[in-house]
Amino acid sequence: MNTSTVQIILLIIHLLFFIYAFFAIGSYVILAIISTIETKEYMKKNSFVNYKEIMSSTISPSISIIAPAYNESLNIIENVRSLLSSHYVNYDVFIINDGSKDDSLEKLIKAYDLVKVDFLINQQIPTKPIRAGVFKSTNPAFEKLTVVDKENGGKADALNMGLNISNNNYVACIDVDCLLLENALQKMIKPFLEVTEETVIATGGVIRIANSCIIKDGKLLDVNFPKKWIVQAQILEYLRAFLLGRMAWSRLNGLLVISGAFGLFNKKIAIEVGGYDTNTVGEDMEIIVRLRRHMEEQKLKYKVAYIPDPLCWTEAPDNYKIFISQRNRWTRGTIETLRKHRKIAFNSKYKSLGLLSYPYWLFFERLAPVIEVIGIIYFVILMALNEVRWDYTVAFTVLAYLFAVLFSIVAIFSEELTFHQYKKKGTGFKLIVISILEPFVLHPFILYAAIRGNMDYYFNKKKKWGEMTRKGMAKAKKNN
Amino acid sequence: MESYQYLIDYFENSPTIIKVVWVASSIFIIIIILLVIYLKYLRGHLRKNEKIVTKHQKEYESYLISYLYAGNEEEEISEEQQAIIDKLKSCAVDEFKRRIIVSTLLRLRNEISGEMAEAIQKLYFQSGLISYALSQLKSKKWYIVAKGIRELTQFHVKEVHDEIVNFVNHPKKEIRKEVQLYLVTLFHFEGLKFLDVLQTHLSEWDQIQLLEVLQHFENQELPNIKPWLKSTNDSVVTFALKLAKIYNQFEAKDAIMQLLAHQQKVIRVDAINALSHLQVVEAKDILKNNFDKLSLEEQITFFKLLENMYETSDEPFLLDHVTHINFEIKLSALKTLKILNIEKFKSLNEISDEPDYVKIFNFIEHN
Repeated sequence: MNTSTVQIILLIIHLLFFIYAFFAIGSYVILAIISTIETKEYMKKNSFVNYKEIMSSTISPSISIIAPAYNESLNIIENVRSLLSSHYVNYDVFIINDGSKDDSLEKLIKAYDLVKVDFLINQQIPTKPIRAGVFKSTNPAFEKLTVVDKENGGKADALNMGLNISNNNYVACIDVDCLLLENALQKMIKPFLEVTEETVIATGGVIRIANSCIIKDGKLLDVNFPKKWIVQAQILEYLRAFLLGRMAWSRLNGLLVISGAFGLFNKKIAIEVGGYDTNTVGEDMEIIVRLRRHMEEQKLKYKVAYIPDPLCWTEAPDNYKIFISQRNRWTRGTIETLRKHRKIAFNSKYKSLGLLSYPYWLFFERLAPVIEVIGIIYFVILMALNEVRWDYTVAFTVLAYLFAVLFSIVAIFSEELTFHQYKKKGTGFKLIVISILEPFVLHPFILYAAIRGNMDYYFNKKKKWGEMTRKGMAKAKKNN
Repeated sequence: MESYQYLIDYFENSPTIIKVVWVASSIFIIIIILLVIYLKYLRGHLRKNEKIVTKHQKEYESYLISYLYAGNEEEEISEEQQAIIDKLKSCAVDEFKRRIIVSTLLRLRNEISGEMAEAIQKLYFQSGLISYALSQLKSKKWYIVAKGIRELTQFHVKEVHDEIVNFVNHPKKEIRKEVQLYLVTLFHFEGLKFLDVLQTHLSEWDQIQLLEVLQHFENQELPNIKPWLKSTNDSVVTFALKLAKIYNQFEAKDAIMQLLAHQQKVIRVDAINALSHLQVVEAKDILKNNFDKLSLEEQITFFKLLENMYETSDEPFLLDHVTHINFEIKLSALKTLKILNIEKFKSLNEISDEPDYVKIFNFIEHN
């Protein structure tokens, strides 16, 4: 190859990187604009909603909360208490003890006066069998609670057991360690009851980080901003994702994921599609894609709704080891889901799902870390060859960094103008500081975890969930 | 100074794209600085606002309490009361203050009753607050109109009925909902007449809200629901079926029976549920004779109806369906059969070895 050919190839590579970055940034900006408009509209409309009537109405639809638990002995009593403290009238709680090896079941039996009962289960989705049995409380105060002890089959299998056992039309699938606000169910059920032109198949809620917050008897008493940078940076990341991303996807009816920590489903349709996939670590994303695919194939009008209110609070990883393990799993889940449903990709039969949502996830979620690493390797090669144009490098790096900071600050603004959860003096300054630091204290680890996720997906098929050690939200404050 | 000059030279000699990038970066820096300053102001303002609201609330609360106790029997409005009215009038010019006054009035009115509550209601008119609410009805912005209607509902202003009714079929559902709540809250069951003219969909959410409001009234006399059961608006029919169930409208049973042939499945299912609740035995034969033509959902609902009003004559029908392919129908048929004829039920122990059947049979046998 002569010099001019090499230069043309290099130019093409540079152009491709530039086009990718341009479209990535462009899509973030467009999504942020749509999100802002949508959130503003939501806030306006929401100011006219009276949730009290629905909450206390005996004819409001019944909801089953399904919470899988695996070795959650440390916090299970407190967590169940939180789930039982909803203000909604018609709901029940199913704790699916998924073959825990610890004393979760014994603790639950003791704390909630549980006794084994005969329970008829319509096994519409295959699951691992019941182990010790189904338990109900003898104490009327806990009549809403049912504990199912089954053999270990993973989170998806436990959720499927919940879908089988619930008698209600709506099921809220949540992580047992999540703290639900008392008004969470009435807010989440609203789209199912309100949207008339199409069938709402699922509603997703915002997940907020509870580290350092004060929680007592399963209730959130005070919102605090954590001390650790890694947790602070995750708060910022969640604000960006939920306030500047998902709201827009909801508007475009293109949501591909509802957080596994809290989502409400139309049970009939969830069962129709076969429930959760037990062969993926990204079952929360996979079920949404499958539900949407099913509705598109049936040519039915549908919607995946999204509620931006801070309704569900959870403990985020507070050390890099657990954080990387979590993000590694998210990456593998995304790859598995996109591969499984690759038929959708660029397929006009699936309308915006195939032409917008799927391509976005493929290019800007699935491939983003891969392209970033290729960029870094390419840069190192250029450095080795002494071919780096430093004037370009410095200028574009500064621009990208400033855009990242600006985008985070916009997310903070969105939060302040809407839900304003971090009210304490000095928190605003901390949020700004973490916006400046986040590209250094969190992003490299996200990138590393994503690459590890890719490698594990292709070369370490045996890897499943990975570790997530809980400190317990009530105890987390001291450590963060 | 030299480095400053170096930077200028560097910028001037850079390629255009680099210049553009640096200009963009500079703009970003300026925006970031401005946003940080504004964020500081905004957070301070939000915090301060909360304090101001509390302060005003206390101030207006004390005005209102003074107003309530300043009355005398000689004059309709005492001098002291008039002074308070004037103060409130001048405060109400400011929208922010007006909102606080209205919320304080409402809170206080909900806490007290009798003459005092009436006095607060009067004050709402005397202070001119009503004219602001009425003017909101003329706004082009939907949320201002909705706010106005809500306020008129909260202060029980019945006089604007005719104006409000004009919004019944408004394209914005938030306005329609406020109108419905206005009519039902103030005119109780009479207010439901809007169903006669409603052209848009009455969502499940709206229906629940209306039913909850209706349940609070002492007089639970429901008007004739038959015209609504025959409405061309399917959501009105669904709502009427709910009313029939909740208010035990047995006299509407013929109209409900006709809905068993409605073209919408969801209405047919609701009709079976209503008939089951009202214990309309005649419905059983109609449904039994058409059973195979019913959708699965209707069939399941019909079996629930049978659980509710079984008779010995249903036994052959139940026997025909104990091995039905559907889990719920099987369960329902066996459960009802056990109540009707325990011996017959026991004899069915081994008629099928299908796992679901065995599971259901064993469960019912032991429970």
